[in-house]
Amino acid sequence: MLFAALLFALAATPLPWRFNQPWIPSLGVELNVYVDGLSAQFLLLITGIGTMVFVYGSGYLTGDPRQRRVFVLLTLFMLAMIGAVVSDHLLVLFIFWELTSVLSFLLVGFDHEQMASRKSAQQALLVTGSGGLCMLAGIILLGQIVGSYSIQALIGHAQQFLADPRLNLALGLVFLGAFTKSAQFPCHFWLPNAMAAPTPVSAYLHSATMVKLGIYLLARLDPAFGELLFWQYTLVGVGTVTAVFAAFQTVYERDLKRILAWSTVATLGTLVMLVGLPGQGAALAVAALFFAHALYKAPLFFVAGNLDHGAGTRQIDHLTGMRRYMPWTAAAALLAALSMAGLPLTLGFVAKDAITFAKTQAESLHLVSYATMFVNGISVAVAAIAAIRVFWGRDTVPRKAHPHEVHTSMLLPPLSLVALGLLFGFAPTLIDPLLGAAARAMAPGFNPDTVASAYDLLPVLEATLGALLFGGLVYLNWDHLHTLLDRIRHLERFGPEAAYRRALELLPHLATRLTRRLQHGLLPGYLATLIGTAALLTLALLILARPAWNWPAVQPLSISVLGAALLITAGACAALVVRDHLVLLLVSGLVGYGSAVLFLFTGAPDLALTQFAVETVFVVVAAAVLLRLRRLAPVAGAAPPEARLRPLALGVALTFAATLTALVLLVAGMPFDSGLSDFFNTQSLPTAHGRNVVNVIIVDFRAFDTLGEIAVLAFALLAALPLLGITRRDRP
Amino acid sequence: MTSRALIAEVFIRALYAVLLFASAWLLLRGHNAPGGGFIGGLLAVAASSAYALVLGSREALRRLPLGPLPLAAFGVLLALLSGLPAMLIGRPFLTHFWFSVPLGVTELPLSTVLLFDLGVYLCVWGAIGGYCLALVEEIEEDA
Repeated sequence: MLFAALLFALAATPLPWRFNQPWIPSLGVELNVYVDGLSAQFLLLITGIGTMVFVYGSGYLTGDPRQRRVFVLLTLFMLAMIGAVVSDHLLVLFIFWELTSVLSFLLVGFDHEQMASRKSAQQALLVTGSGGLCMLAGIILLGQIVGSYSIQALIGHAQQFLADPRLNLALGLVFLGAFTKSAQFPCHFWLPNAMAAPTPVSAYLHSATMVKLGIYLLARLDPAFGELLFWQYTLVGVGTVTAVFAAFQTVYERDLKRILAWSTVATLGTLVMLVGLPGQGAALAVAALFFAHALYKAPLFFVAGNLDHGAGTRQIDHLTGMRRYMPWTAAAALLAALSMAGLPLTLGFVAKDAITFAKTQAESLHLVSYATMFVNGISVAVAAIAAIRVFWGRDTVPRKAHPHEVHTSMLLPPLSLVALGLLFGFAPTLIDPLLGAAARAMAPGFNPDTVASAYDLLPVLEATLGALLFGGLVYLNWDHLHTLLDRIRHLERFGPEAAYRRALELLPHLATRLTRRLQHGLLPGYLATLIGTAALLTLALLILARPAWNWPAVQPLSISVLGAALLITAGACAALVVRDHLVLLLVSGLVGYGSAVLFLFTGAPDLALTQFAVETVFVVVAAAVLLRLRRLAPVAGAAPPEARLRPLALGVALTFAATLTALVLLVAGMPFDSGLSDFFNTQSLPTAHGRNVVNVIIVDFRAFDTLGEIAVLAFALLAALPLLGITRRDRP
Repeated sequence: MTSRALIAEVFIRALYAVLLFASAWLLLRGHNAPGGGFIGGLLAVAASSAYALVLGSREALRRLPLGPLPLAAFGVLLALLSGLPAMLIGRPFLTHFWFSVPLGVTELPLSTVLLFDLGVYLCVWGAIGGYCLALVEEIEEDA
């Protein structure tokens, strides 16, 4: 069993490892592929954590028939992520970006038989998808301002466009995309709900990689727009609010996975805030926090998954003293928690170090500093919950199943990740080049020496100590705080998630009302709406355009034209009086014949012939249909609606008639441009060997159009065949 | 059809031939005088419809060469083929050619345009004619 699981894990992982090669700064593999320090860092995270997730998933989903599906989706997701972080073209990046959204939808909705799962998946897709659309608009606008979609060109030329008034709008739209993707306030709510996904997916997509994509894009664009005040204020503001808000929300939760999710949101907020801070220190801090967070949060998610498997629950109320049953998981949790709390000699400490330095260097607002301290404190408390409360303490809670340690394949990934974190914590110089290269991508003038010389240990230790104290207090009073916060839970009614839900409920409601109003099923109503709209639109155009009125020259009426006009009028008047459908069809045919006569005597014999033929065939077809309908529904067909005057319909009809008359008079009064007809008249005989201009146009000048038309005709018959059953010759 | 209209039945056979002849005439003269494939095709449809109304749709279907769908498809194919020779010698698709076949006293003008128009004619006849006949058949079933 163990061997099989390992084999499968190995089979599933060669792909990620192949990509896990030493990176080269500014490597131009293809025209639009650009891998620098920032991309390389992401590539390492995507493939490295990805490998761990594959190993873990092989254990987590053992025996699950859907395991293969998860692995396929995860592989696709990994490819999409790699594509997103190496592409230099904003539109290519957008495509991969949306791809990750779609794959996230599929993975969150993995348990598609459960309502909550489906809802969460839909929510994740709607929020990130609509943000993505905003971002597309922003990207296009940005591309129009700068004249290039290449990110490097953008960074190179951005200085010239900083004064462009459209820039803020473009950036705002890009922000929307990045904020929805990275779960920033007020679009944060989808991320904790996305925890409906299986744990490996949560650890991978919703903690380590995908949610950081938004921050990746912001960090990418930071060298271009980092000097803008709009950029700084928005990012610092939104990031700080998100971090504090998420830290509060953390205390609400009892489910370990959701607690971790909220603390992820808090970290994402911190990252956005750091991107917004100016200065080289901030760039280094972003890089360090990226790395540290992935190395401690993914193991913690794995730990939550292990608890789910081993103890059957993730509710922290039912979990104490688990270290007796799951010693290895406990070790992993403890080591990851140390890093999360930012204790010295861990990677978390390195990150915290860089953050503190970034803030002193950027001289940020005091409020931001306090907010960070608060968030750090909550992080410490969460770390303590995950490591101490769950695994240490007395084993007092009664539980149904006997807890047991999980499979090795589920222990190796968290343990190796925390080991890496510890290694880098002990010897930060090992990852210095990587972090430095990433920081250089965000702040082009980055120089590690200036950072090192300005380095001061004291404020870091102070901050760590403060966070530990505060976090310790929160941890000890966790249950009190929880009851306290439960009392204000009803405030959620006013939160963004409630607004999202209301909007979602409103949509079908509105659609239903609109449909009821428009699709009432009454044919005369439809007709009146159509004709009325056409008349009003034409009228509005006529009034707005104010064309010059030229009364057409009055020509003497010939008898033939008069006759045609009489024929048409007679047909139209008869149609008003006749109630029987078949007779109605015949008299309306009179109108067509009248038009044909009119064409015949005004120099268009071809048109007249066609009109005659079309009218005849149409009457035959329509009569056949009517007869059929009458047999199908004899009652409805036998009793035509009684004739009565409808004032509204009369008004619509009169308006339409008046508009059409005005239009025809107007067109007739305009100077006639004979360019086209002259061309066809002169060219028809010499180049097309035909004297009938109309036919020459149809079969020669515009032969391709005609070909398309007859093809459509043939296809229409093809489509009508099944309806009419003409192919079933042997019917009774 | 239970009741038969004898005079109409006799009459329609002659009329059918005349109408088809007229439609072919319209098709052929189309290039220089009013007419053409589309009008000719519609006239042929009218002929088929009239035939079906008097003698039944099955009879009319039998008179339709190839049957409706193959006829329409053949028409489209013909029109398509008429454009291909131009491509063979590197001219744009659907560039037409004219030939004159001498017949002693007079000469017979032929062209790929005629082929194209014939395609239009057959397609209209097959497609719209097939549609009409199917509708007529529906009515017959109910009667």
